[in-house]
Amino acid sequence: MRHSRALRLLGIVTPLAAIVFAGLIGSVVIAMAGKSPLAVYKTMVLFSLTRFDSIALILFRCTPLLISAIAVSIGFRANLFNIGVEGQYFIGSFCAAWVGFSLRGLPAIIHLPLAACAAMLGGVIWALVPALLRVRRGAHEVITTIMMNSVAFSMVHWLIYVFLDVEQTTVPGMGSVRMRTPLVLATAKMPTMHSLLNPLLAPLGLEVPRHVYLNYFFPAAIALAFLVNYFIHRTPLGLEIRAVGHNPDAAETQGIDPNSVRLKAFLLSAAVAGLVGLSDLLTYFGYLDIDFPKGYGFTGIAVALLGKNNPVGMILSAFLMSFLRRGAEGAQVLEGVPMDTAAILEGVMILAIVVASSVFTRYARAWQKREARAHADQ
Amino acid sequence: MQISEMLASSIRMCLPVLLAALGATYSEKSGVVNIGLEGMMISGAFWGATCSYYAGPYLGLAGAILAGMIFATVHAVTSVTFRVNQIVSGVALNTLAYGATRFAATTIFKMATTTPGVPRLPAVDIPVLSSIEWLEPVAKSLSPVIILAFLLVPVTKLVLERTVFGLRLRAAGENPLAADTVGVNISAMRYAGVIISGAFAGLAGGYLSIEHTGMFVEGMTQGTGFIGMAAMIFGNWQPVGAMLASLLFGLAEGISLNVESQIIPYQFIKMIPYVLTIAVLASATHRATPPAASGVPYARGGE
Repeated sequence: MRHSRALRLLGIVTPLAAIVFAGLIGSVVIAMAGKSPLAVYKTMVLFSLTRFDSIALILFRCTPLLISAIAVSIGFRANLFNIGVEGQYFIGSFCAAWVGFSLRGLPAIIHLPLAACAAMLGGVIWALVPALLRVRRGAHEVITTIMMNSVAFSMVHWLIYVFLDVEQTTVPGMGSVRMRTPLVLATAKMPTMHSLLNPLLAPLGLEVPRHVYLNYFFPAAIALAFLVNYFIHRTPLGLEIRAVGHNPDAAETQGIDPNSVRLKAFLLSAAVAGLVGLSDLLTYFGYLDIDFPKGYGFTGIAVALLGKNNPVGMILSAFLMSFLRRGAEGAQVLEGVPMDTAAILEGVMILAIVVASSVFTRYARAWQKREARAHADQ
Repeated sequence: MQISEMLASSIRMCLPVLLAALGATYSEKSGVVNIGLEGMMISGAFWGATCSYYAGPYLGLAGAILAGMIFATVHAVTSVTFRVNQIVSGVALNTLAYGATRFAATTIFKMATTTPGVPRLPAVDIPVLSSIEWLEPVAKSLSPVIILAFLLVPVTKLVLERTVFGLRLRAAGENPLAADTVGVNISAMRYAGVIISGAFAGLAGGYLSIEHTGMFVEGMTQGTGFIGMAAMIFGNWQPVGAMLASLLFGLAEGISLNVESQIIPYQFIKMIPYVLTIAVLASATHRATPPAASGVPYARGGE
């Protein structure tokens, strides 16, 4: 018992060790660029955490990362690697935009949820081919979803071109310069949290700045993290997903059809993935263009790994990732260090966390074996 | 538009894909999936251009290959020595390479997205073919890297199928336990496979920046590493197959750039490599024969 508690403690220490290791590597890189690592890290922390606009921005940017991590974690639970979140949210975002700009005359209470449902449906449709190929043909989902990501980018570019908004596109005197969809109607837009937060923050002398689009997708994402966790641990399908993820053969002897469970888990993951782009689309941009933010799918993998598929862990990791980016922006302006430090830290952190947990798992297993042997000898 | 000119541009287009696909073949044959090829190619493109800027094109290409190999070594350490998930390691490497390249570009050239123009290798003609008028665009003033890359196809086939090293490499990817039993050093083989793939990806990046464009531009790889993987799968994990697949993908790209008519939107041409690869995986699992232990970490004693 004493040992199992020690093991659990070690399990919490490993991600922290990975973060520290990434910090050390980052120091070397910063020093190589001729700057003082300590000064840069201090600026990153102060710039991120002592300015209220930074904090609000970190929360805003946290939303897509968290949703993406939840999607990836559902796959991980069933031992599936959904590396296709990237493509699924591009298609999902387009579907939401389409519902958002083409359906007129709906009240907001119907229009906005409809756009969100369209996004989930788009994600599911995009995952259908890889999911079915995995289940029916055994084709590895990593390869097929990577391919589907690239197809999604081209597809969305083409769709933007098809649905091009002529009025918006032509700027007088400049010809057509902006390739974007028509604007999403007001009824499909997600309101920001300013009207709720600012009265509460006023006594503290704080205010969410108008240029930060913190919106209700943020609390929704937090709720989703716990909801999915409840689903995984407290419902029959959740149990089946975990059983198949742990040991598909054992699950099958219990009467579970692994492939049917995999299919459900994959499509569920893709439905959540479809929502990733909505915070940006339905609050900030209001349209889809070829510069729509990319890469949330890959960062989501990092967040899910660092947070170990656990809701609290993933929320903290998503904060950490957006904190790093905001801090790096500050370091670029104030210290002259390229903001790409954030990407370097992120990459090293993923490598460090997977290496650390691999070493830790091996160590823990050896320990448990030794314990069991000691028991048997008694 | 002459057919030979279209062919020439297709060959130029397909080259980085071909090199990446050949590299991926080494890695996969040894049992390691390398989706970090894209990142290794980005670093190869940047460090190739940088070295070429300061020390000329030959050292430029050497720098590109070295950069690819360094990133590949990281992938080998994590996925072979520490046996972590190879996909995760590859994803992390892509992020890391992207960040490190931009960081280095900003630090060295004060611009995050491009380097200045760099010198390229002197162009060469293929002796007999270039005298035929019809083949002139294909055979005249070529980058030596193009010739090197096509020579590397039979070389790769020979190394994999006719040498002791190739046999051991394939054994490490097909049945590591059996190979280990007869004394093959599985770790060494897998390190070799991954690092060779890094060298190929680095060279592919170096070709793109030094030979094809004459400078490094951010985003110039455009997922070429992933298309290279697709070509490898489409070519059924064989060097000659990879070459044919790369040529096919290059031809599709070449046609789309040269043919003026807008019957098929450009975006759909871009999808061709990916859709074809998915179709191959879908249509017949009997045909797609990846190395049996590809993607599976190997631990002595079956831990």
